[in-house]
Amino acid sequence: MMATIPSTLTQPWIRKRPFGRYAVVATVAMLVLSPLLLIAYQSSLNGPFFAESSHFDTGAWRYVLGARQFWRAFGTSAIVATGMVGIGVPLGAVLAFIMVRTDIPGRRILEPAVLIPIFLSPIVTAFGYVVAIGPVGFISLWVKSLVGSVPWNVYGLPSLIVIAALTHVPHTYLYVSTALRSVNPELEEAARTLGAPPWRVALDISLPLVRPALLFSASLTFLLGFELFGLPLVLGDPAGLLVLTTYLFKLTTLLGVPSYQMMAVVALSIVVVTLPLVMIQRHLLGQASRFATIRGRGLALRPLKLGPWRWVALTIVVAWLLLTVAVPLGGILLRSVVKGWGEGVSLSRVLTLDHFRGLADYPNLIRGIVNTIALGVIGGAISVGCYLIVGLTQHRWSSRGVAVLDFMVLIPRAIPGLVGGLAFLWLILFIPALRPLRDSMIAVWMAYSTVWLAYGLRLISTALLQVGPELEEAAQTAGASPMRVRWEITIPLVRLGLIGSWLLIFMMFVREYSTGVYLFGAGTEVIGSLIVSLWGAGGLDLIAALSVVSVAIVSVALATALRLGVRLHD
Amino acid sequence: MALNRRRILHGASMGGLLLAAIGCGDEAAPAKPGDASKPDANKEVNSATGKGTPTVAAFTGAPLEIKASDKELLEAAKPEGKVLVYSTTDSASAKPLIADFNARYPEIKLDYQDLNSTDLFNKFTAESAAGTDTADVLWSSAMDQQMKMMQDGLGGSYQSPEADKLPQWAKYQEPGKTAWGTTLEPFAFVYNKKLLPADAVPKDHTALIKLLTDKTDLLKGKVTCYDPEKSGTGYLANSRDVTNFPAFWDLAAALGKADVKLYTSTGTMIEKIQSGEHIFGFNIIGSYILPKLKTDADTFGMVFPQDYTIGFSRVAFIAKKSKRPNSAKLFLDHLISKRGQDILAKQSLLYPSRTDAEGEATASGLQKELGDKLKPIPVSNQVLDALDQTKRLAFVEKWQKALGRS
Repeated sequence: MMATIPSTLTQPWIRKRPFGRYAVVATVAMLVLSPLLLIAYQSSLNGPFFAESSHFDTGAWRYVLGARQFWRAFGTSAIVATGMVGIGVPLGAVLAFIMVRTDIPGRRILEPAVLIPIFLSPIVTAFGYVVAIGPVGFISLWVKSLVGSVPWNVYGLPSLIVIAALTHVPHTYLYVSTALRSVNPELEEAARTLGAPPWRVALDISLPLVRPALLFSASLTFLLGFELFGLPLVLGDPAGLLVLTTYLFKLTTLLGVPSYQMMAVVALSIVVVTLPLVMIQRHLLGQASRFATIRGRGLALRPLKLGPWRWVALTIVVAWLLLTVAVPLGGILLRSVVKGWGEGVSLSRVLTLDHFRGLADYPNLIRGIVNTIALGVIGGAISVGCYLIVGLTQHRWSSRGVAVLDFMVLIPRAIPGLVGGLAFLWLILFIPALRPLRDSMIAVWMAYSTVWLAYGLRLISTALLQVGPELEEAAQTAGASPMRVRWEITIPLVRLGLIGSWLLIFMMFVREYSTGVYLFGAGTEVIGSLIVSLWGAGGLDLIAALSVVSVAIVSVALATALRLGVRLHD
Repeated sequence: MALNRRRILHGASMGGLLLAAIGCGDEAAPAKPGDASKPDANKEVNSATGKGTPTVAAFTGAPLEIKASDKELLEAAKPEGKVLVYSTTDSASAKPLIADFNARYPEIKLDYQDLNSTDLFNKFTAESAAGTDTADVLWSSAMDQQMKMMQDGLGGSYQSPEADKLPQWAKYQEPGKTAWGTTLEPFAFVYNKKLLPADAVPKDHTALIKLLTDKTDLLKGKVTCYDPEKSGTGYLANSRDVTNFPAFWDLAAALGKADVKLYTSTGTMIEKIQSGEHIFGFNIIGSYILPKLKTDADTFGMVFPQDYTIGFSRVAFIAKKSKRPNSAKLFLDHLISKRGQDILAKQSLLYPSRTDAEGEATASGLQKELGDKLKPIPVSNQVLDALDQTKRLAFVEKWQKALGRS
């Protein structure tokens, strides 16, 4: 994407042979490609790659590609992903504009709430929806008592698309709001002074300026659409709806013991979908220099005065919050304090705090909570440090290396967690140098950092893209070394992006579970893994209580961090 | 709560007794860790140095006492210091058993990891192949996967002295490999009492077909069972249904007409029967319903089908390459001991298989209730049939056709 920028402008302070940069590219390549290659290798065998009896065989490819169900699942996934982009990205952009740029009332309260859906485990969110608006959910029953029937069906394709889109809005929100914070408000104010209404300002000024962030959000949302698992499992299964990941899940038990080769084929097919996607994205981005809007001038973030439109804006945000946060969270919250629910249950009679008391009984809980927080806060910070190094490697570097990096970072996100987690376990087991890491939080952290590489890096590079080259060039002209330019000019300018990135990564790490399910041992369990182990045996009482606790913890952490972030900014 | 407190006191006094027992054991029986790792060494050592072990004779009636073989084993296990268990029994259910083991053997650290059955299989087979440290004891409800691992040579042999009291179907003893069925958990009919009239509750599979056909209006979209394609447990149950019930495919067709909802997780099915989203569940695991019958007796009803009730077992074995074989034996012994099984019967409600186990939920209780209508899935190579790919795919195809969903 940098190729179109005249190299004399951007590169005077880059060494002729940037060994450091190549080293970073090589490290990322190793981290990303080794699981992928292992999966590719596994896909072409007739049994587990570690079994002596396994040999080369194309049977898995033939079976999967010849299966009608696979193609049907593929189509459904594509529809869901497209729907998510179509609904989620515009909505996310609107929310970001309202929250960052306007004088919407109650922003301080709304801001942390917008992020809540991200850190809810999807399977728990989906379950919350069932408790709230399922066939016998508490909202459904209430509506039924008013109008005589339940006018919606929470199961099936339309509701899956809408719910998936709504719950993925925060991803777009985060990228776009980060980008918007770096946009020079003078441009918007100029338009405003000339009499443009707020929506014109948003469409004609802000929107084009955050196009890179929008494109990243769109491609990631699309990817996530293919990677969805918890939502289609809970909301699709009862309707007999199969997407690629639930098809993959089926392959783990269809033959009694997991069929690694078939799982590998499905995983690769998802990766293949991302190839053209990334190409398109790179093409669309074109000249990145157009988006550089942080210039060497003073700027103050003054919110756009909406006037009476404030209330429209507030309605949009609150409506989305109600649907996406209040409904599922209300469902989970309710479930955590009742013995039973549904048809013919009077809630006041079944209220109980037993489930929370039960948590105290749960042997691994405290450890799980502490580990979760440590992994999110400390591990997340280290990850952001690593992402920053990668981001700076790409920064102002026109080389094939950048293209390669751009492409590679999306791959781990594209590999479904069910397979990715297994591939990580295999790597750690069968590469002797990695073995000592087993059963330590480092292994878990490495896997998590790799999987969320695309997220963190996009956030950082979106911010980096908006740093105009003049400042760096000025420092360079004044005699600063490349390292010093980065340390004293570039990094301070993107610190907001770094904090946002850390927050996002923290939340992702808290919520994630499928990637690490094989890497956890005694002493390294986290909330996500506890929920997974309870899911099978019907411990929904405990799951609901555990989810409420985890939401509470993260909300507190989030509110604190946001406050801190805001203060840093002021 | 009171029960728990008693447990703890119980455990504490146990510890004292244990220390005393070890004290005398040191003099009476020379520690032979080498011998202890051989399958039958314990018994031999036992009879050879039988003097000074007064508790042997009194064992059956008194769970607190320690046998000579226990002491022997414990001495050998102490240097190992810990035992790693991979299990599908969630920590919450296994908690009383774990606590009791810890109280009984404070020297041995019990590292108990609960995983779902597929994760357990994936993790253990990969770790074994890589030759890294892995579980010493495998305790899983996926009988077919457990037997597959035995077949692949991952399971070792240990002739537990406690195994005598297990019923025949629960014992798998082949040259060089042994596995034990620790529980016998019934697949039951479960229904929501508030929504299904008492006189409509089916007592056997034939009546179930009739119910599904007669009350289609009431039950449409409100019947649930495992998805045999996505759930190994579900397939295992269905593969037994086929052999026990000639009209199974009529049942499948009736389920299809009732627009049956298929799931992979027991928890989801139970939850939805409780909420009334579903009314009736077919092949629901009884041991998961028992606690619910206590907390929500107004809602849940459970029937063991009178024509035949299938029971599956949580199978336990010691890893062949276990790095802590003596501690592994201690745990396995504990798991199938009278004491351990009583805990499973009284507190975990898992229907332990041991014939003399006492408590609310036991296999012998089921046996008494159902007689020869109780059909345990035997712990044997026969289970491997369920992994026959051709049969499995053929079943799935027929199933989808019967349901009208192909």
